[in-house]
Amino acid sequence: MKPIRIAIAGKGGSGKTTISGILARLLARAGRSVVAVDADTNPNLASTLGIAADRTREIVSLPRTLLKREQQADGTTITTFARDPADVLREYAVDAPDGLRLVVMGAVGHGGVG
Amino acid sequence: MCGAHATVRGFLGELVKQSETDVLVDMEAGLEHLSRGTGRHVSRFLAVVEPYYRSMETARRIAQLAGELGVTSVDAVINKVRDEADREAVHTFCVANKMPVVAEIPYDTSLVDAERAGRPALDFTPDAPSVTAIRRLADHLLSTA
Repeated sequence: MKPIRIAIAGKGGSGKTTISGILARLLARAGRSVVAVDADTNPNLASTLGIAADRTREIVSLPRTLLKREQQADGTTITTFARDPADVLREYAVDAPDGLRLVVMGAVGHGGVG
Repeated sequence: MCGAHATVRGFLGELVKQSETDVLVDMEAGLEHLSRGTGRHVSRFLAVVEPYYRSMETARRIAQLAGELGVTSVDAVINKVRDEADREAVHTFCVANKMPVVAEIPYDTSLVDAERAGRPALDFTPDAPSVTAIRRLADHLLSTA
């Protein structure tokens, strides 16, 4: 079986996160290895997945230090993801019911990086 | 370039390249990720569409942006369908915009009940009509994987 890679988009209030949470758990229940990624700037996927509130508050979102900026010889900068994703999962992913793992995007706009 | 978006996009890019794991991304309500290219790392796009104008308009823009990114398949998940008029309006929209409908989820107050209780609907009301419809969607995704 091929890996299932899905993005779910929609307007705020459309039920996108509720659907994402249920769908992710059902895929995990079917015995698949599932990583759920909360890429919403107002992250709510954790509670939809059934992660308890006290654990939700302790989730560490992906820090932007995972990116490496390198200046090229011509003066331009390229940005690369400098870490092994398996290590990132071990470090930042939280366990959710049915054995799936959740990763949360960092807050937008902090520190004026924009 | 926003660091948070760039970081999650970089992570997704490496994750899908270096592992066989399934990935499900809950995109943000706006179209920020789409315009920044996060969608390149997934093979399938689901747009949640409700039976009202602004929601369908958003879905149309999602499909358009995804097309520009080379994401060929944008499927519609119709949500909060109350009656035949709702169903007809969204289906007409989806046909006009060439978005295949992969799920139709009824308006279901048990989702609201679960939300109020702070519990996942899958645990709180596992047999609710909405959950059943999402289960069918999961089966569809599994059968086409």
